[in-house]
Amino acid sequence: MEHLNLSLIVALLGGIVDLDSTAAVQCMISQPIVAAPLTGLIIGSMLGNMTAGVQLGLMVGIILQLTWIEQLPLGMNVPPDAALASVLSVALGFCAGHEFDYAKREACYTVGLLVSVALGLLGRSLDMFVRRLNTNIDSWVNQKIEDNNFGSIRFGHLSGGFITFVKAFVFCFLVVWFGVEPLKYFTQLMSVHHSGGFVVLQGLLPAVGFSVLTSMCLKDNKEIKYFIIAILAFSLLPSNFLIPLIASVAAMIIYYPKKSKSKKGKK
Amino acid sequence: MTLSKKLLFKVALRSFLLQASWNYRGMMSMGFLYSIAPGLDYIYEDKNARELAYMRHFEYFNTNPYFASIVMGVTLYLEEKYKNGDKCVDPEMIHNTKEALMTSLAAIGDGFFWDNWRPYVACFAIVFAAANNSFTPFIFLFLYNLPHLYFRFAGIYWGYEEGVNVIRKLKNFNFPQMRQSLRIGTLILLAYLIPNFVRVNTPIFTSYYIAQKLSGDQYQFCQKVVQGLIALLLVYLGTKAYREKVNVLLISFFLLIFALMFYHWGIFI
Repeated sequence: MEHLNLSLIVALLGGIVDLDSTAAVQCMISQPIVAAPLTGLIIGSMLGNMTAGVQLGLMVGIILQLTWIEQLPLGMNVPPDAALASVLSVALGFCAGHEFDYAKREACYTVGLLVSVALGLLGRSLDMFVRRLNTNIDSWVNQKIEDNNFGSIRFGHLSGGFITFVKAFVFCFLVVWFGVEPLKYFTQLMSVHHSGGFVVLQGLLPAVGFSVLTSMCLKDNKEIKYFIIAILAFSLLPSNFLIPLIASVAAMIIYYPKKSKSKKGKK
Repeated sequence: MTLSKKLLFKVALRSFLLQASWNYRGMMSMGFLYSIAPGLDYIYEDKNARELAYMRHFEYFNTNPYFASIVMGVTLYLEEKYKNGDKCVDPEMIHNTKEALMTSLAAIGDGFFWDNWRPYVACFAIVFAAANNSFTPFIFLFLYNLPHLYFRFAGIYWGYEEGVNVIRKLKNFNFPQMRQSLRIGTLILLAYLIPNFVRVNTPIFTSYYIAQKLSGDQYQFCQKVVQGLIALLLVYLGTKAYREKVNVLLISFFLLIFALMFYHWGIFI
């Protein structure tokens, strides 16, 4: 009964979060950095360890946020479904692994994350299927408008959102309903030695996202040496998180008017 | 100017559902018509004229969702002028203006929000996560939605009040330079996150060979330097691979093999 409740809650959360990713609002609760900790909070409180759920959510959210940051919903491009991947990664990992000891638990979380990346790609295919359905609805509404039935616009438009919700709901429900036990079983099969390898991997995975973002932001070769110096400086400095925040805001404020003036100067 | 602020607010609220029926034929066509429908209903009291207006706007539409309300405001401004018999405005002019605006606003909005604002805000929030701050998601949501909601709600009024001159108003924001400074800001945050967030523990340099000769502080210092250098090396290799168009999943797979092998050999613990 508890597993059914968990599956339904995750499905509902998946449906809401997936609506936000394109269909409605887009206030970005669908971004992994929000969706994953939110799932962790809910699942964690249901299973009696909210703090651990939020911690897992943050870990998953950060990795997925950065890894898929360059995948944009522009024009015809349909990016991997990062929202569903975040929800499912936390749900699968936490439901399957929260009762294990440290090494196996962390290994289970990491395997859940890797599985959910594949599920995010499957989610993209489902998104494309929904868009094809919407195309049929669009043609139907077009037909109705020609027959002077203008009420069909509202019905057709909102049913697109409904289909998106149902798609995510059913997908999340099935994955959690059928996925937790196999993941638990797989983790039990792993030796403690292998589990340690997955814990190491968990620590290294943010490097993938940082690589994606670095290649996105480093446009000028001259900037590379300053970037490396900054990394080394931050490695050695006391790691107070306020320093980079203040430095980034200050650099933006200084850089913005300086460039404006130099352009005016050239004129 | 007959449309009330309340009605324009209603249109802005409906724009939150702009992409509910996103499809391959008209993209946001149904969403656009659904959003501006209350405005069209108000402008055209005559049923036939209203139906013609509906048909005019059931056409291809695609732009940045946060800037769409600007196009909606301009469209309602032009529709009102057309209804009042302004000779400069005809259905073709409305169509062309809408098309030109949606294209330019898609370029501005997508570039600013997806390419620069979202990565910057994500890094900003992740820095809080590095300090074990559970408010990370709220910080992300709050910062991200400041410009989102501002453009969404202010845009409809700008479009309706300024008409086609709205583009001049947007020029004042100087988006290209804003994007540049956001990119610099993101790089600074990345420089902090890379050595502090990639967790690498290796016994080789610190504990096995040198640790016996080092004091506690020196040991910690060496550990941090080694950790920073390994993180830098990993990100360097990852960036190189990504720029060579290697898929992110393949990079992650290589990292998996690398982590398991190095753990097995005792290089990483």
